[in-house]
Amino acid sequence: MTTEQEQRRKVIRSRLLTLAGPFIGLLFVTSLFALSSELRPVFYTGANWKNIFTQTVIVSIGALGMTMIIISGGIDLSVGSVVALTSVVGARLLEHKVSAPVTILATLLTGGLVGLLNGSMIAGFRMMPFVVTLGMMGVTRGAAKWLADNQTVNFDGESMVTRVMEKVSPDTFFPLPSGVWIALLLTLLMSVFMRCTVFGRYVFAIGSNEATARLCGIAVRPYKVLIYSIAGLFFGLAGLMQLSRLSQGDPSVAIGLELDIIAAVVIGGASLNGGSGSVIGAVVGALVMAVLRSGSSQMNWPNYVQEIIIGIVIILAVGLDRFRQSQAAR
Amino acid sequence: MVNAPRLQVEGMAKRFGATVALKSVSLEVAPGEIHAIIGENGAGKSTLMKILSGACRPDSGSLHLDGVRFDPEDPHAARQAGVAMIYQELILAPHLSVEENILLGEEPARLGWINSRSRREQARAALAQLHYEHLPLGAPVGSLPIAEQQVVEIARALIREPRLLILDEPTSSLTQVDTQRLFAAIRRLRDRGVSVLYISHFLEECQLLCDRFTVLRDGESVGSGAMASTPLAEIIHRMVGRNMEEIYPRSARSPGEVLLELKGLSGRIRPSEASLLLRRGEILGVAGLVGAGRTEMLRATFGLDPVAGGEILVRSSLRTHASPRQRLRDKIGLLSEDRKEEGLLLNRSLADNVTMTRFEPVSRWGFINPRVQKQVTRDWMTRLKVRARSPFQPAAQLSGGNQQKIALGRLLHHEADILLLDEPTRGIDVGSKAEIYRLIHELAGQGKGILFVSSYLPELLGVCDTLAVMCRGVLGPKRPVAEWTEHSIIEAAVGAGTEKA
Amino acid sequence: MALLLAMETSTRAAAVEPYQIAVIPKGTTHEFWKSIHAGTIKAQRELEAEGIPVRILWKGPLREDDRDQQIQVVENFTARRVSGIMLAPLDSQALVKPVGNAVAARIPVVVFDSGLKSDKHVSYVATDNFKGGQLAGEHMGKILGGKGKVILLRYAVGSASTEEREAGFLDGLKKFPGITLLSADQYAGPTRETAYANSQNLLNRFGREVDGIFAVNENSTIGMTKALRDIGRAGGKVKMIGFDAGSASIKDMKSGDVQGLVVQNPVRMGYLGVKTLVQHLQGKPVEKKIDTGVVLVTPSNMEQQEFHEILYPPISQYLDK
Repeated sequence: MTTEQEQRRKVIRSRLLTLAGPFIGLLFVTSLFALSSELRPVFYTGANWKNIFTQTVIVSIGALGMTMIIISGGIDLSVGSVVALTSVVGARLLEHKVSAPVTILATLLTGGLVGLLNGSMIAGFRMMPFVVTLGMMGVTRGAAKWLADNQTVNFDGESMVTRVMEKVSPDTFFPLPSGVWIALLLTLLMSVFMRCTVFGRYVFAIGSNEATARLCGIAVRPYKVLIYSIAGLFFGLAGLMQLSRLSQGDPSVAIGLELDIIAAVVIGGASLNGGSGSVIGAVVGALVMAVLRSGSSQMNWPNYVQEIIIGIVIILAVGLDRFRQSQAAR
Repeated sequence: MVNAPRLQVEGMAKRFGATVALKSVSLEVAPGEIHAIIGENGAGKSTLMKILSGACRPDSGSLHLDGVRFDPEDPHAARQAGVAMIYQELILAPHLSVEENILLGEEPARLGWINSRSRREQARAALAQLHYEHLPLGAPVGSLPIAEQQVVEIARALIREPRLLILDEPTSSLTQVDTQRLFAAIRRLRDRGVSVLYISHFLEECQLLCDRFTVLRDGESVGSGAMASTPLAEIIHRMVGRNMEEIYPRSARSPGEVLLELKGLSGRIRPSEASLLLRRGEILGVAGLVGAGRTEMLRATFGLDPVAGGEILVRSSLRTHASPRQRLRDKIGLLSEDRKEEGLLLNRSLADNVTMTRFEPVSRWGFINPRVQKQVTRDWMTRLKVRARSPFQPAAQLSGGNQQKIALGRLLHHEADILLLDEPTRGIDVGSKAEIYRLIHELAGQGKGILFVSSYLPELLGVCDTLAVMCRGVLGPKRPVAEWTEHSIIEAAVGAGTEKA
Repeated sequence: MALLLAMETSTRAAAVEPYQIAVIPKGTTHEFWKSIHAGTIKAQRELEAEGIPVRILWKGPLREDDRDQQIQVVENFTARRVSGIMLAPLDSQALVKPVGNAVAARIPVVVFDSGLKSDKHVSYVATDNFKGGQLAGEHMGKILGGKGKVILLRYAVGSASTEEREAGFLDGLKKFPGITLLSADQYAGPTRETAYANSQNLLNRFGREVDGIFAVNENSTIGMTKALRDIGRAGGKVKMIGFDAGSASIKDMKSGDVQGLVVQNPVRMGYLGVKTLVQHLQGKPVEKKIDTGVVLVTPSNMEQQEFHEILYPPISQYLDK
């Protein structure tokens, strides 16, 4: 075996691990439930996968924004609260018979606005993203409860908004709710955006080494504001999906969602140190968790089993990442 | 047999997979001798050290320690045999005290120490051997200057009463004064009969400290000798297989119009006053002590630090205040002194690192074309003789010299006319240095203006056309390099005889 | 012969294919839900004795007040094609759609404990919560002698069962014009911890002047009683009436810190839920609304036989460990 072959093999192996890691995880957890003869006939049905996909939409859309933030070396803990706030904003507007397109726009912009605030504080005053968004988590949760009068906001009638996550024909895989298609489309767009555009490279550069990014003439601060704002739009969209799913605005919804989203991004191969991460990986990470939840719930395992398993998966994912890095470094 | 060598290495060879790390290395170290191991990065120094310290085992060849066959199975066995290794990165527990660090992991009974002697005495005795008995034994190591931490590290090795001490680049983070004190400590060890293997990039240092040397090149020992009687030029010749004249290329250039002018530039703290004229085709060296404000002058000029006063003129138009982005647009490029923290995106690909400041030629409508990017990067890699597997390899995987070439490649890809180079050859091997000198020379020939900041006087004198010295934030007048000597530069740098010609 | 045998076993297997009944409570940590669980097992054993095999799949939402999680559980059981679902909806609105989807997938749903704004479900098996609230209100009026200042500690927004109790309590108090409300707009929240914290906050403000408190579920009763003890106002100085009988509340009543507990019959609720669902699955008609009864237990009547059984439901008889 020549050196070249050996090296090429090493490169291929590390690439494979990077790209396929989350997919292997997904395959693994999916096949895990094939072990149960009782579950086999019902788990691998169109109806069930439609469920799983629908259940992944909110975390996935959140993960799109979060991946970008984490790649840039930041973090956003306010996602869950932003989802609650935007779902309340949307519900309030629908309650007052505002048309669906305006409602959608306003909901997204609310998310974007919170992102803008986060980004401005982080970039403008050089504050720690963790602390700023931790504070913002409380502010937006409180704002949601305030706006909702501390109760769920219900509105009459169907709307385009409530139909986004609606499942027609529950027995078959197709047609999927439009929310699933929206999430899929956005995932592909974001993946291309992060991988192939100059903007994407700048995000990676900022996360990889901020000082170098500045040296390379990247306007780091405006970019950070932009990154948090765009992510905020995604979080607003996630809030819209939440609104659609509950058909009400719920100020206490999505508590702890940020941790699910961060877990998905990490399972997808991102490093919390910034500079690395994958959009598709994050969405697959979200799927891994949804499959585990769905499967263990249908296996009738107690909730604590499923919580333990998901915890272990996160640790394994990070361990795999370390292993891959040590392989690449060799 | 009266005088068996302390260490005798014969025909040592080692392969890693298909890579030959050591072809054939032989050397001898006498008792009480400081022996320099000199060689470029990749010459096999670290593999040799690993074998001696028991971290890996040779494929063939033999080792003798004081005439007895020495074949350590692991680092512990090597330590037991009296071989102590001190790595470049200190391995100390910063929160533990000096005493605790020195005795860390020691089991006195097993090593024959008398138990009744207190730990404190052991630690103090070890420090006394180095003439550092004044170190506060109770202070946390993290609170000491680096040089004293280094001493603690050596004292820790001394606890085991080594016969052979291996030091790997111990001075890379030390100041001149600290280096001198460390040398004094090492010499004391030698006088007590301990043999020292000393690995360093700094040949001048080896000349000061070492008795004998062995040069490694491509895994082979290509010559040993007495340090005092061998000219530096010859050692370098052996290391790189090239002559001194080839390292510092010279040819006549006539400087053109003014590219960059600083008028009384001052920053927040440093520099306090810097004025200079940089012309097309000129290599202007800036010397000075560490902390004199040279780096700060470059950073303020590039817009990384704010300008507090004075003016900056780029191609004769006034551009005092600007962001790095605007400076890059003015075709100014900065090579940072801190390659790892500021110069490169270590976990990004070489291609991204090279094209980061100017994606235009490799992208359309904001979308990057990976094929073009790869080709462009490959071209630069060829021109700069970067040794790497692929343009899409992360920069972290390259050696220091190759990383520096990639950082330079970014300035070239940016087509910068004004190059601000801050310590461009720091911490890289002689071969890469020579290539970078050649490149700087070539760039000046193409009409670029180069501001070259360095603390290494021979290269300033060898490479630059003109030279100015910065002292406590004030940049002195620039003079043709022929009018300077190492002595006059140092005088100007410390502020003695400011107005001397 | 072997073929025959195989055929026979397969037909037998078909005949005894059990009904799979998914039971989805609002949470899993309250003793109340454990009693429900026991009731479902009681029904299962009875039905099995009659030759009708039933499998109970017990699964609560991961986080107790997370509607989205409960929706996921309903969806997952729908996908799994269970025979029927028993659901205690966390929200009368948010669970409408998933229940509709389950019914569309021909899986009948019995709603229990808490109402759902839908007409798709087969039956609603629950305590008459309004009546329970009324009992508490009347008892409060009585023990305060018709005058005093009271606090109503609500549970959470959108939970129909507790909202009915709250309304019933206010209705029961109407007979006593001498009684004024100090606070009726604070919420205990989903856990014992939130209930405790919110009670402390509330008592910090009103602790000196309040005469009577009504808490509308198990956790808020425990939390409020504990908070009263902390400030030395327990033991009857403030009349405490709670809802549901967990072992902690019963202990508090024995020690005199609680003056009344409105007690539902959760075992019966679980039992009737399963029975009703199986009846429907067998094609028999069922009642649209089934009341499982509610009583007021006080320190004086708690040792009587009929109340004792409700206070100490024989959970261990049905559930392991």
